[in-house]
Amino acid sequence: MTKRKTFGILAVTVLTASVALAGCGSSNGNNNGGSSASASSGSSSPAASGSASPSSSGSSSPAAGGGTVKLTIGGYSILKDSFGELIPIFQKEWKDKTGQTVEFDQSYQASGSQATAIIQGLEADIAPLSLEGDIQKIVDKGLITNDWKSKPHGGMITNSIAAIGVREGNPKQIKDWTDLTKSGVEVLIPNPSTSGGAKWDINGVYGAGLKISEAAGQKDPEKAKELVAQIYKNVKVLDKSGADSLTTFDKGIGDAIITYENELLARIQKGQKYEEVIPQYTTLIENPVALVDKYVDKHGNREVAEAFLDFLWSPEAQDVLAKHGFRPVDEEVAKKYADQYQTPSGLFDTSYLGGWDQVNKDLYGTGGMWESVLAGGK
Amino acid sequence: MASQAFKAASRSLLIAYLLLLVALPIATVYVKGFSLGWQPFWEEISGSVAWKSILLTIKLSVVSTLIQAVIGTIIAYVLVRYSFRGRTLLSSLVDLPFALPTSVAGLMFLTLLGPQSPIGDWLHRIGIELLYNQAAIVIGLTFVTFPFVVRTVQPLLEQLDASEEQASYTLGAGRGFTFRHVVFPAIVPGILAGSMLAFSRALAEFGAISLISGNLPGKTMVVSVFIYGETQNFRPEGAAALSAVLLTLSLAVLWTINALTRRKGRLA
Repeated sequence: MTKRKTFGILAVTVLTASVALAGCGSSNGNNNGGSSASASSGSSSPAASGSASPSSSGSSSPAAGGGTVKLTIGGYSILKDSFGELIPIFQKEWKDKTGQTVEFDQSYQASGSQATAIIQGLEADIAPLSLEGDIQKIVDKGLITNDWKSKPHGGMITNSIAAIGVREGNPKQIKDWTDLTKSGVEVLIPNPSTSGGAKWDINGVYGAGLKISEAAGQKDPEKAKELVAQIYKNVKVLDKSGADSLTTFDKGIGDAIITYENELLARIQKGQKYEEVIPQYTTLIENPVALVDKYVDKHGNREVAEAFLDFLWSPEAQDVLAKHGFRPVDEEVAKKYADQYQTPSGLFDTSYLGGWDQVNKDLYGTGGMWESVLAGGK
Repeated sequence: MASQAFKAASRSLLIAYLLLLVALPIATVYVKGFSLGWQPFWEEISGSVAWKSILLTIKLSVVSTLIQAVIGTIIAYVLVRYSFRGRTLLSSLVDLPFALPTSVAGLMFLTLLGPQSPIGDWLHRIGIELLYNQAAIVIGLTFVTFPFVVRTVQPLLEQLDASEEQASYTLGAGRGFTFRHVVFPAIVPGILAGSMLAFSRALAEFGAISLISGNLPGKTMVVSVFIYGETQNFRPEGAAALSAVLLTLSLAVLWTINALTRRKGRLA
């Protein structure tokens, strides 16, 4: 009996003490800007352990020639293949120019998740993400201090459009967004709370809804929301990233997938028997890249990081990206690949929806369009 | 003297261990969850998607726990009372779901039931869908919680003297009567404790479910997947609020098990 009592007291003491401790911890964190508690959890990302110390010593004397310098890429899931091809080209160029070997640490995951990981301590020097809003998250936390939009093409490295992928022969006769609302059509999209691609997809559908209502008389957000809700009813799986969503489609799940055109083209090039359906109205996708100043300064590798950024806009790199299905931002390269792409008559960009700030608030914010679509689902 | 010093040292070590590895992280979640006060906490968990995911998780956990209580008890009974070829193999298979990463379990079901497998194709043709819906979640939960009931009922059955059952038969009782009046009362604490453990494990399952459920908010999204989404979307308060709810439930369940087994005078 007494033993049990002692144990009880002990347990209570331990709990109280730890509540107090945890309280101290998080109140300190709040003073520092609020994310100290979560910073420690950032270790879940594999590349986070790639510490800065070896690279900073290597790059302190870049002009000396030889030696190695390290660059960490924290990109969105879709880029993995194209960067796998781009990086060796850059490594060779940099070696020829400076004699230095560039080592790359690479992490790819859903764009929103990647932005969160970078904020929480994944020390990425270069952040190529799916959309401006995710870069903005990092800017807001003070990790990116350069004017990234002043880079060529407004900081965008690739373009694409939101498109529909269907199976060989288009058995369900899908021609446009509205066909995705038919009963018996199973649709795949990723989850916009983690995936940047999903936001593009939903922007595409929502914007198309606006355009359709505009063509019928008046621009009506309710009609647009209705279209999204109708399609959501047919959604079968909501994967966490665009890449996962395509993997699910590869497994034979779903009749149609809403995704980046470039991913679809890349899959088709690899021999998958999919067909691309370009809706009459859809959104132009613009994928940004930014240099994360805080980590670059910590690693002392700004020179090579900037060189890599510039490399991404070079015709050579643009050509590789185009081969992976992206629409190049470089005009010369774009001309070369012009016949690979069909531009729909009703293409719009994010400014049609009021820009990303507006979109993040109205569509994906608390109480926004997406939340109410989800709440409408049974 | 030396032994007392040793006792004191080992006790403070134990406390430090508990503090660092169990109590401190748990407390952090509560502190973070309530960091904005009661009102925002309530808004986080009563938001329609969050609330639906809580209800869904509890509902499906209850379903899988009930399945487990019945099937697990039967399996334990068979393993203890009957001897047949392959019994030891079967017995060791029971523990497999413990040893397997749950994402592997998820992958297994995806491969087994997906449209590209013969079984999945056949099921699809006869109109049964076992992936990306609530049935999928129940299958996943039943799989990962498989060992609990079996392993808590088994020792109780082994302790039960077989001659008690034989006496019952000799006195003219049938199989059903014997099971209900002789065997069942002896193993009830095991079934309860095992089910509770299975329930609290089911509440927490993530790996398998995130792969096979489809994760549609409000339809097939369980709390653990919702929490994951919140952390990825940089909403730590929302994640912590939901985590606090889940933690409280789990703690309550575990405490109930403790209270129950103590009253029955047995340790499960």
